[in-house]
Amino acid sequence: MSDTFKMDNIPFSLLDPAEQALVNASLDLGYYQRGERVISAGEAPEGVYVILKGRVRESEPEGEEEDRHVFVHYQNEDYFGGWSALRGRAIHDFIAEEETICHILPTRVLLELIQSNALFADYFQQNLAAKSEIVAQHGESQDMAEFMLAHIGSALVREPLVVEQGCSIRQATRLMRERKADCVLVRKGGRYGMVTGTDLLDALVMRELPLEQDVAEIASYRLVTADPDDYLFNALIMMTQQQIERVVIMRGQQLQGVVELTDVLSHFSSHSHVIGLRVERANSIEQLREAARGLNDLIKALVSTGVKIRFTMDLLAAMNGRLIAKLFDLVIPSDMQPHVCLIVMGSEGRGEQIMKTDQDNALIFRDGLAWSAMQETLNRFSEMLISFGFPPCPGNIMVSNPQWVNSVGDWTQKLSDWADTCEGVAQMNLAIAVDAKPVAGNQALFKVARNWFLRHLRNNDVFFSHFARASIEFDTPLTFFGNLKDKSQLDIKKGGIFPIVHGVRTLALEQRILVTNTFKRIEALIEAGLLRELEGKELAEALSLFIQLRLRQQMRRMESSPEGVDPTPNTLDLQLLNKMERDLLRDALQIVKSFKKHLVLRYHLGE
Amino acid sequence: MIIPRTIRRFQERRIHKSGLWADNFEPYAGDEVVSLDCETTSLDVKQAEILSIGAVRIKGRKVMTSDRLDLRLKPPLSLSAESIKVHKIRATDLADGLELNEALGQLLKFIGNRPLLGYYVNYDIRVIDKFLRPLFGFGLPNKAIELSHVYHDIIKWKHVGGDVDLRFDTIASKLDIPIIQRHTALGDAITVALMYVRLKHGESPSAH
Repeated sequence: MSDTFKMDNIPFSLLDPAEQALVNASLDLGYYQRGERVISAGEAPEGVYVILKGRVRESEPEGEEEDRHVFVHYQNEDYFGGWSALRGRAIHDFIAEEETICHILPTRVLLELIQSNALFADYFQQNLAAKSEIVAQHGESQDMAEFMLAHIGSALVREPLVVEQGCSIRQATRLMRERKADCVLVRKGGRYGMVTGTDLLDALVMRELPLEQDVAEIASYRLVTADPDDYLFNALIMMTQQQIERVVIMRGQQLQGVVELTDVLSHFSSHSHVIGLRVERANSIEQLREAARGLNDLIKALVSTGVKIRFTMDLLAAMNGRLIAKLFDLVIPSDMQPHVCLIVMGSEGRGEQIMKTDQDNALIFRDGLAWSAMQETLNRFSEMLISFGFPPCPGNIMVSNPQWVNSVGDWTQKLSDWADTCEGVAQMNLAIAVDAKPVAGNQALFKVARNWFLRHLRNNDVFFSHFARASIEFDTPLTFFGNLKDKSQLDIKKGGIFPIVHGVRTLALEQRILVTNTFKRIEALIEAGLLRELEGKELAEALSLFIQLRLRQQMRRMESSPEGVDPTPNTLDLQLLNKMERDLLRDALQIVKSFKKHLVLRYHLGE
Repeated sequence: MIIPRTIRRFQERRIHKSGLWADNFEPYAGDEVVSLDCETTSLDVKQAEILSIGAVRIKGRKVMTSDRLDLRLKPPLSLSAESIKVHKIRATDLADGLELNEALGQLLKFIGNRPLLGYYVNYDIRVIDKFLRPLFGFGLPNKAIELSHVYHDIIKWKHVGGDVDLRFDTIASKLDIPIIQRHTALGDAITVALMYVRLKHGESPSAH
């Protein structure tokens, strides 16, 4: 209701008038007694709650009523439940402390707004991150939302070619050719009729009508129309049901344009489901390459709609994995597949690569395998990957390099050699290799080598001490008083991402934790009791903040550079951050600093 | 001839049982209530003309403001300076309003056979009936719930002697309910709905 719901309050003030009207029309009012649960942990909330009057506390779901930890109190005009609504499940209890009346904005509308307004989405998600509500898993709703909630909007609507009654077939055809349109709308009186290329052919060839014939006579006037605010998905259904290829878009009585089937399909084709399907169905390298191309659009779409960074990473890791596995299937002869195992390493192996920055992969084959065409085939494999848009690795860590194609015996030997040398390149190779994940072929080969290596490292304190040192090599860019050091730019990989990733990697290796993803490693370390829960969550949160900020600036640089490449992928320009982001960044770097202290103590790295 | 309301309703139910609005005559079995309010030109039913109708559905402890009825009607001839002062509705505000016929049809559809809630709801029902009868041939068959009675029934046990103050603003402040857009039909309907939910589901208010 307009006068009790304050649209001026952020984040609702970020919405445009049409979106605000949508909010206004979708709000319900709920009444809750003192002590009543507005949202219970584990349940799906109905949406975002905005307090009209009253007071609500957010608290731990377990334990005695009195000594539960209360996270935050919400009062008049505060909102809560947004994160829970997006996740589809609440993790805390929300309890009315006094009689409370809330506006309720349904989840469906919230998703729609997040979809349509990037600023709103940003605010929602950042603010939530700041409240350290980030938890491990996520629902599938985000992924679905992207698919289901696209509006027809203006992007896909083509401007119609309109002619008046009396226009001849000849003129109409010429106009269509000039305007590169494949259909024309004819205005007859107050009505519109449609003439497609097929109609023209029929008229001339089958019915043998003269070229001077009025197109109004061959037009069909039973148009299928949709509103521009309708879901794109509905337009697709309409086309499928009626077996047509075009839908006319009308706002009220006003003609807006035409949406074509091919446009709708290509819109959906950049969505994860469809890309996944296309990867699975590809029978040739060509088809697979086509599908890979869609992946880049997907990344852009996910980032620009403000989908949370960890969802994006998980999704892309899965897609890239399937893509590479499929290529492996197509390139490696099937009789050889059981004797080799393809692994991806580095950020790809951890499932943390978003922009395709390089390919780090290697092959392990069965001891004593005789396959003369192996290196030749693998060279071809690497070339294919490059043509799919995975840039070659600058360190040449690819299967086209024979150094990274090893039998199980050689591979384990290499790993232990690297572990025994304390020299830089060996340590770096090892760091890349321990993040390895098998993606195709016979995974047992990889597991044998890995398990042997993990046993080999047991209780080797000298090794871990050396290995961990790299993570404290770079200074944290904070001043003595804990403010951001540099006023203009900083290298976020050295300053923030690498210390976390490498420190966590070391701890995980020591604990023989098998997962490679940094977030999952952190979870496993918490479970093993090596990190305190709060510490671990803060680390995960700091890391996802760094990655998100870096990604946003990477995209910006890629768009502004003429070749579409980013020359300085790890630079963070502080001028481009707002006050809140800078504060968050500072806090996150503090977390890195204390994590490094923890590592120094644990591995006796006394400086 | 003046026929008592109950008899007339009985008669109307019989006639309209198979008509277009038959559903509205069914006895209601659900748990929803519709809060209704009209703004009129006069407090005398005989002279009153409807300016606007507001209604909102109540389901359990939720007021479904997303599913609401907010109708403005064409200005009646009798729109007087007096009522303009009360409602702040001028003839120009109603210039693009609905025809009475259309508005009443929408209203009947919205309320269905749900009970009607209001503050002095009988007044609203009688005014609506006055216009409904000549156009549709029947009066509102719905059960009526009077907010001030609900309030009175709950508070009287705490109130020793004297009359209970049943003024709208008093009830609202006793129940600690914010008054939403006073003197618009929809605003009043929502405020009444909130008061009702509060009375039905909350602790009983103190007498003082």
